[in-house]
Amino acid sequence: MIEEKKQSKSESPKAVSVENLTKIFQGAMGRKPLTAVRELSFNVAPGEVYGLIGPNGCGKSTTMKVMLGLLKPTVGSASVFGHDSDAVASRHDVGFLPENPYFYKHLTGRETLRFFGKLCGLGGSELRDRADAMLDLTGLKNAADRRVGGYSKGMLQRIGLAQALIHEPRLLILDEPTAGVDPAGSRRIRDLILELKARGITFVVTSHLLEQMQEVCDRVGIMSQGRMVREGRLEDLISVENQTEIIIEGASAEQLAQVRAIFAGSSGAKIMSLGKPRTTLERLFLETTVQTGDEE
Amino acid sequence: MSSTLKSSPRKYRAFSPARVWALATNTVTQLVRMKILFLLLLFVVIVVAAAFAFPTRSPEQQLKLLKDVVFGALQVFSIVMAISATALLLPRDVEDRTLYTILSKPVPRHEYLVGKLLGVLLLIGGGLLFMDVFFSGVLWLKQTMITAANIEALKSEQSDTPENIAAVRALIAHQGLTWNLHAGVWCVFLKAAVVASLALLMSCIATSTLFTILVSFCFTIAGQGQGLLRSFVFKSLPVTWKKICSFVLALLLPDLGLFDQVQAVIEGNSIPLATLAETTGFAAAYVVLYAGVAHLIFSEKEL
Ligand SMILES: Nc1ncnc2c1ncn2[C@@H]1O[C@H](COP(=O)(O)OP(=O)(O)O)[C@@H](O)[C@H]1O
Ligand SMILES: [Mg+2]
Repeated sequence: MIEEKKQSKSESPKAVSVENLTKIFQGAMGRKPLTAVRELSFNVAPGEVYGLIGPNGCGKSTTMKVMLGLLKPTVGSASVFGHDSDAVASRHDVGFLPENPYFYKHLTGRETLRFFGKLCGLGGSELRDRADAMLDLTGLKNAADRRVGGYSKGMLQRIGLAQALIHEPRLLILDEPTAGVDPAGSRRIRDLILELKARGITFVVTSHLLEQMQEVCDRVGIMSQGRMVREGRLEDLISVENQTEIIIEGASAEQLAQVRAIFAGSSGAKIMSLGKPRTTLERLFLETTVQTGDEE
Repeated sequence: MSSTLKSSPRKYRAFSPARVWALATNTVTQLVRMKILFLLLLFVVIVVAAAFAFPTRSPEQQLKLLKDVVFGALQVFSIVMAISATALLLPRDVEDRTLYTILSKPVPRHEYLVGKLLGVLLLIGGGLLFMDVFFSGVLWLKQTMITAANIEALKSEQSDTPENIAAVRALIAHQGLTWNLHAGVWCVFLKAAVVASLALLMSCIATSTLFTILVSFCFTIAGQGQGLLRSFVFKSLPVTWKKICSFVLALLLPDLGLFDQVQAVIEGNSIPLATLAETTGFAAAYVVLYAGVAHLIFSEKEL
C-alpha cells in the first residue's frame, strides 16, 4: 500500500498543477455574477519559487483559495502533489499564510502554534519542539508568551508563517506575505523564504513588492483580470534578447570612459544606457496589466 | 533538516477525535478568556440573595421560591450562553478569516462544526455543573437551618413529639435537596444544547453575529411557545391533520416545552426515569438534526 502511494507520488513531478481554472462568484440577490479567474493554467515544479503577480482584484487570492480547497472551482481543477485540492488529505503537504492573517487574539503566540499543530495531528513533545523551533525560526521567541492580540503587523505575518510551517509541509502558499510590513520586516520574511527554499520547500507567493519578487522567484506568472497574461522563468521574462547588462561595482570615472571608448568606434554594438540599474520587472508589470476598475 | 522533505505524509483520518478535541478546548479557552463566565458570578449573587429573601413565608414556600428563582436564572443563563457563545464563534471566525487558516489545515469541515458545538456544550455543561453544586450546597444549608428553626419552634410550643419532628423533617426534605434537582438541571442542559445547535445552524446561514443572535432568540421564544401555538391554532383541525401539523412544526421549530421538567422539580414532584430518558432522546435527535443540516449548509459554503 505505502509502496504504491510513494510510486504514484514520484510519477507526478508537479508540486502544484492548476488546469483550466475558472471561478465565477454567483452574485447574491440580483447582483450579476463575477468571473474572478478565467481559464487559468500553470504548474509549479518541486523546489521552485513561483510568483503570482498582478493588480488588486485580478484573482490571485481566489486562485490560492481554490488550491487550498477553500473555494470550489467552477470549471477546471487544482491539485497539490497529485492530490486534488478538494480532498482534505491534500492539505497535509501545504502550509498557507492568508492575506492579512488574523489569529485568535486571546491565545499567545506559542498557544497559537500548538493549536494549529494539533489540527495537523501533532502532539506531545514533538509538537512542543516543533512549535519552539518555528518560534525560533521566525524570530518570535521573545513574544511567544504574549497574546497575539497585541502583535504588530509584521509579527502577525511571522506567526502566520510559523503556523503555516508547523506540520513541515512541502509546499508553502503565501498571499502577500510582506504587505503592510516595514522594510526591515519584509526583508526578514524574504530571507526566510530564501532559507526555506534552500531546504527544498516549494513556494507559491503573491506580492506587490516586485523588487522582492524578483529576488526570490524562479518563475513568475502575471495575471490580469483573471487571466494569465505572461508566464515564464524570471530571467527570460525580463531579459531583452539582444542586449547585455553589465553591472560594475566601484568603477572609476576613467574606467567608465574607457568602456565608452571601446564601443564608440564599433559599428554593430552601442551602449544603450549607462547608469544605475533599476527594476525591470516593475516596468513589465505596468506594461502587461490593466488596473482593475480601469475598464468596464 | 532533511526532515522538512518527508515524502510520506502523516496518515490522514476522516475523523480524528484529537482534532475535534483541540477545536473544542480552543473554543472553551476562547469563551473563558472572553470573560463569559462572569455570568456565573451573577448567578452566585442571585442564589445567595434568593436564599435570604422571603423570610416571612412558610418553610415549604421559602424552599419552593428559592428553587423557582434559581431555576429561572439557570434557564436564562444557559440559553443566553448557548446563543451568544455559538453566535460569537462561527461568524467571527468567518469575519476575521481565522477560518481560512483552520480549514487550510487537514481539518474536514464537519470536524470544525462538531468541535465548535462540543466546545460550547462543554462550557455550558461545566457552568451548569458548577451552578448545580453551588445551588445544592446553598439549598442544603437553607434546608438544615429551616429544619432546625422549626424543631426549635415545636420545642417552644412543647409539641416536639417524635412524630411531629419526623413530619416536619419529611415535609422540608421533600422540598429540599433531592436527586430530582439534578435531573432538573440536566433538562436545562438539554434545552441549552438544542438551542446551541439551533444557533449553530443559524450561524451557518447568516454571516453576522447580530443576525445570528436575533434569529436564534426569536426561534427560541417561538419554540418555547410551541405548545400554546399547537393548542390554539390547531385546535379546530381533525386529529390526523393536527398530528401532521404538529410534527412539521416540531421539525421547523424546536419544541422546547419538551424540556420543561423544571416545574415538577419546583413543586417537589419527582421526574420519572422514563421521562428523563425520553427527553434526553428528543434533545439528542434535535441536536443531530440541526447539526446535520448545519453541516450540509456549511460544507457547500463559499468562504
Ligand atoms: N467571496 C467572494 N464573493 C464575491 N466576489 C469575490 C469573492 N472573493 C473575491 N471576489 C472578487 O473576485 C475578484 C478577485 O479577487 P482576489 O482573488 O481577492 O484578487 P487579488 O487577490 O488578486 O487582489 C475581485 O474582484 C473580488 O472582488
Ligand atoms: Mg489578494
